Amino acid sequence: MGERTVTAMPDRSEARTQAEDAPRARGPAVPGAETALGTALLRLGFLGLVLIVWALAARAAPPGLFASPLAVAQALGRLVAEGRLLPALGASLQVYLLGTGLAIVAGAALGCAMGTFRLLGRTLDIYVMALAATPRVAFIPLIIVALGLGLQAKLLIVFLGAVMPVILNAYAGVRAADPELVEMARATGASRPRILRHVVLPGALPYLMTGIRIGATIGLINTVVAELYTAISGLGGLLAVYGSRFRMAEYLAVVVVLALIGAAVTEALRLIEKRLLRWREA
Amino acid sequence: MELKPELGLRQVGLRFGGRPVVEGIDLGVAKGEVLVLLGPSGCGKTSLLRLMAGLIAPNAGQVTLNGAPPRPGQGTAMVFQSYRLLPWKTVAQNVAFALPDLAPAAVAQRVAEVLALVGLARVADALPAQLSGGMKQRVALARALAPRPDFLLMDEPFAALDAQARELMQMELLRLTGAQGGPGVVFVTHSVDEALVLADRIVLLSPRPGRILARVELPFAAPRWREDPRSHPAYADLRARLWAQLRDAVLNDPQSDFHRAAADLRS
Repeated sequence: MGERTVTAMPDRSEARTQAEDAPRARGPAVPGAETALGTALLRLGFLGLVLIVWALAARAAPPGLFASPLAVAQALGRLVAEGRLLPALGASLQVYLLGTGLAIVAGAALGCAMGTFRLLGRTLDIYVMALAATPRVAFIPLIIVALGLGLQAKLLIVFLGAVMPVILNAYAGVRAADPELVEMARATGASRPRILRHVVLPGALPYLMTGIRIGATIGLINTVVAELYTAISGLGGLLAVYGSRFRMAEYLAVVVVLALIGAAVTEALRLIEKRLLRWREA
Repeated sequence: MELKPELGLRQVGLRFGGRPVVEGIDLGVAKGEVLVLLGPSGCGKTSLLRLMAGLIAPNAGQVTLNGAPPRPGQGTAMVFQSYRLLPWKTVAQNVAFALPDLAPAAVAQRVAEVLALVGLARVADALPAQLSGGMKQRVALARALAPRPDFLLMDEPFAALDAQARELMQMELLRLTGAQGGPGVVFVTHSVDEALVLADRIVLLSPRPGRILARVELPFAAPRWREDPRSHPAYADLRARLWAQLRDAVLNDPQSDFHRAAADLRS
């Protein structure tokens, strides 16, 4: 779980080159593509292309190893009709949202504290980075021994995955506070808490949002991992069941649902980020 | 007219990492007066402002504001070359940031007052990113004036502006501070012309470590925002004298980029 490398952003210029800003900087290659409608049409077109390639691949594959988009859609309908999907979705969302939410709150608090109190940061940062670089799937047996196979164990697995990028990015954001703005604030006679609240923390927000987006992605991965390794449940449980029985249409239907969750969460975070960081545009 | 120096430096010295930045500085500034610190880069002008603001303490000598060592935000306000507005706050919120101790209603009233004073009332709700450089610096000026400081400490505030905006801001500054009971101004610049247009007195500093090379009282009549001193007969003479001293100081500085070039030219 969480085996991608998670590093804090070293500076702001790197933050700006994140994927979602790049196309805008380069300008549209297709006329009209810069409008929202144009983007939507291009995205729909690409989805159509994927579905066609998928359908052709399903036709070429030996029977039973792969399922066509149509078969997957029908399987999705059956899963909903038979009442299997929604309870699994509910169970997964509970683990995912609760675990990731706790990770965001705790990670932001710890990261900001580490950046604010230099002694705490200097003491802890090497251990946080070591833990972030350790494949945390290694801890699962330990978590099972300590907490069993239930909700608590699942929440901890999700939490551990999601919390690291949040801590590291909040820490980096506070440490990257603009020294010129801090000096300006000091010159007005502002107290340390006032400088933290009005200067340092708002400046760290772009970093924190990047950490949250990475954390939310790892949280979803770890939700499925947790459901596979502890008590089989949720969408991860359905993946195990249908995967082991080679029911590829149902299996792929669950994968599609997971992808939709990922896309929905990422998009929601992007909207929140855009609203909170309006001051960076203009 | 003899003015009582309310902001004073006596035999002030400052070191960074063992290297002297300024040495033996004696200065006094009174309320209502414009003192310009003129000198080449690296003469410690900015450090002198930080000392006056109470952001750092001297290694030698004394800095006093109304008889006591200065404390940040207590009687002084700074204006920087890079504006230093908080980008996530509106114009009004940026000005309000300098008023932490007032009740919200009093803050709103004072913010409206100073924004009207600098002619920015209509952009009170704009974000800094939406403003031009000249407008940003006027916001920074409003933020500095808001708490009614005794002294404005200005660190090359107009250096980043284009020539027109700079000249307008110079007149604006003289108008805003020249009124009865206005604050004293300590203004740092490396431009001889800016010094002559703004100053009641000019203190010329040497390159590292900064020492006082010359003190010049200017003969131009107040209020100068009504009459351009550049048309005064004494202007050209003063300019030539100050420029010659500044040039010699730079060319004689062994660490200056121009030092070797000058030596090559002489040989």
